[in-house]
Amino acid sequence: MSQLGRVKQWNTFARCWHLFDAAWQNPLECSPTIEKYLKGLNKPIYHPLVDCGDHVVVINSKQIAFPGEEWRRRAYFHHTGYSGGATWTPAWELHDRDPTMIFRKAVYHHMKGNLFRRVVMERLHIFSDSNVPEEVMENITNQIPPLRSIPKTLSSYSKEEIEKYPKIIDYPEDFILSKN
Amino acid sequence: MLTLRTTNRVLKVLKTAQKCEQSFHRWLAPTLRELKRRKDIQGPEKPVHRKTFLEWNYDTEIYAFSKRLGEEFNNDLLQQALTERSYIIREEERQKNVGIEQPTLNLSDNKELVSKGSDFIDDIVKRYLRTVLPRLPEEGIIGIHKYLTSIETLSHVSFHIGTSELILCAEFPVEKPTLSNVLKSIIAALIESSGDSRAALFVRDFIITQIADKDLHQFWEPEEPIKLLSEILARDGIQSPEPRLIGCSGKNTILACFRVGLYTPDNKRMIGLGFGETVDIAHEMAARDSLRQLFGTLDNILLPFNLKLDQLCASSVKNLFLNEWSQKTLPFRPTHFELRQAKEISSN
Amino acid sequence: MSSSRFTPRGFPRVPLQNGIGRYICQLKRVTLRFCKSSGSSRGIRDFIETDLVSFAQDHPGTALYLKPRRHKSPSFVAEYLNGEREVISCHNFTAQQMVKWLNLYTTRSGIPLMRYVKMWHTECPSIQGVWSPFTNKDPALNITQFPSEMLSRPVWEEKSATEELVEMINKQKISDENNDDIQKVQAAHV
Repeated sequence: MSQLGRVKQWNTFARCWHLFDAAWQNPLECSPTIEKYLKGLNKPIYHPLVDCGDHVVVINSKQIAFPGEEWRRRAYFHHTGYSGGATWTPAWELHDRDPTMIFRKAVYHHMKGNLFRRVVMERLHIFSDSNVPEEVMENITNQIPPLRSIPKTLSSYSKEEIEKYPKIIDYPEDFILSKN
Repeated sequence: MLTLRTTNRVLKVLKTAQKCEQSFHRWLAPTLRELKRRKDIQGPEKPVHRKTFLEWNYDTEIYAFSKRLGEEFNNDLLQQALTERSYIIREEERQKNVGIEQPTLNLSDNKELVSKGSDFIDDIVKRYLRTVLPRLPEEGIIGIHKYLTSIETLSHVSFHIGTSELILCAEFPVEKPTLSNVLKSIIAALIESSGDSRAALFVRDFIITQIADKDLHQFWEPEEPIKLLSEILARDGIQSPEPRLIGCSGKNTILACFRVGLYTPDNKRMIGLGFGETVDIAHEMAARDSLRQLFGTLDNILLPFNLKLDQLCASSVKNLFLNEWSQKTLPFRPTHFELRQAKEISSN
Repeated sequence: MSSSRFTPRGFPRVPLQNGIGRYICQLKRVTLRFCKSSGSSRGIRDFIETDLVSFAQDHPGTALYLKPRRHKSPSFVAEYLNGEREVISCHNFTAQQMVKWLNLYTTRSGIPLMRYVKMWHTECPSIQGVWSPFTNKDPALNITQFPSEMLSRPVWEEKSATEELVEMINKQKISDENNDDIQKVQAAHV
């Protein structure tokens, strides 16, 4: 192969690094999007036997969101292999133990179980907060847009904004808005 | 005693009347094994010349050969072109061994034709390349010419037009230098049979087309491209180009990819784009890319393989050498794109 | 089996850039082997009687040999310029079948049959170039500080109830002001 041919191939199969902010995102909804980048499904050169997947760095996995009763009702099963070794851990408990685990499991279980799955999972780097090592941050050249917008919390409004907000109803006199 | 004899007889009859229950031959596998063993001991079979076959008529083959190429050959000349010196020597020796004092063979060898054909190929290939690639430095023309006239290329062409069985030579299988010599002598025979223009078309169709679909810079690669590029641009009065990193991915990994663009400092125009695993390699490739653009040898150009002898430039015309190459002093000649277009108009 | 690992596989190829310069029929020699009396050779005998001469005239670049062999099953041997050789049985063929099979073998390149990885192949790259992850990428990404505020928004955002409420109130305010103005103007006229 000529010199040009070599670098051309290198350029086409260059591995990119994408950033994904998981704050206020549902991991079950995000996993198809993350999988697309991890496997390289977004590239025109994609082929199941071609190793063309990218790296994805997920930050703020501690701030993921689940709808409804999911934190309480969703259980993660584990079996030690010994008799009586089965455990069912609720999502909130697992999230307390390891804030990256729920996101990792969501992506892992969404992918089809074949020999490539564990290889592809190696390209997923999850961080529980936004403290990412500098050398990882330098690799990143793209950001995956989040699927849902981040809702504005009441505490983030300034006092002026709250006062200017239109008044719709009159609260009863004994209604307590906040303790302060 | 009597009873024993009768029982024996009865048993014999029964044996012969018995049907063979086994559905396969017990002797077959051992026999095949033995044959295989003997064959292995003998070693691989030697290739035999096609002329030893019963269905072989040399005249028919020669006729088919010239018809296949679509050329009109003088039969004697073609026969001479296919005859090597070694064949004549061997035949004479054979006749002497039989007892003929003065062996007479009505054959002459192709030595003169080879040198004539070789000169013709050199001339046509160089003129063709200079016509088609007017911006490529003379070093590049020499590099491509060297590839096209190498024994490797010529013997490949010669084999694929079907000379290997028709050559009269002492050695078998025919060696590569012999094959390439025969191709040269066939072209010389064609010059004498049908003239220069037909022979030029032959060279074009069979030898020059060997560079089709190939990267031209694999035959000639300029050394120190960054230095060379700034020298060439300095001759045109342009300052040396400014490299800029225009993209990278996975910077801190071993699979890092960098893209470097070369910009002219005056009007900020991009003149080359390179990529590679390190910034240095990408910079060098960018310089090579801009040289390709200057020399008109990008990897996706389509060379015209439709020119005739009278459309080629003269033998005396030469491209600029690298040390004098400048866009200002380039000779005015049509580019390959114009040459291709010219053909389309004329064919309509 | 086309997917067998014992079948050779590759891309469509042509020997000696055939067709870029001029086209050469790659079949250099055909030997027809047949029996003069047996029934299985009847079709090939008919072919020789009727179509052989025209076949030879149409393909002057192919050497043609006839090989009568007593009580043998008929066949023909096709030899190609690249040195390949193939034997095809013509047992019980009709003359028309012979014409078709010979036509097939004259138009082949002689490269052994293989499974095509793709049905097309080119060494010459396209004019727009090979795709890469940098194709059609915004160059502004090169100088963006990640995570960026701009890119942290979803592609399509739905309006929240709060925002809609504020909008409704604002609209109402504007229409109230307009009504006030109209009333003032009318009062002035009166």
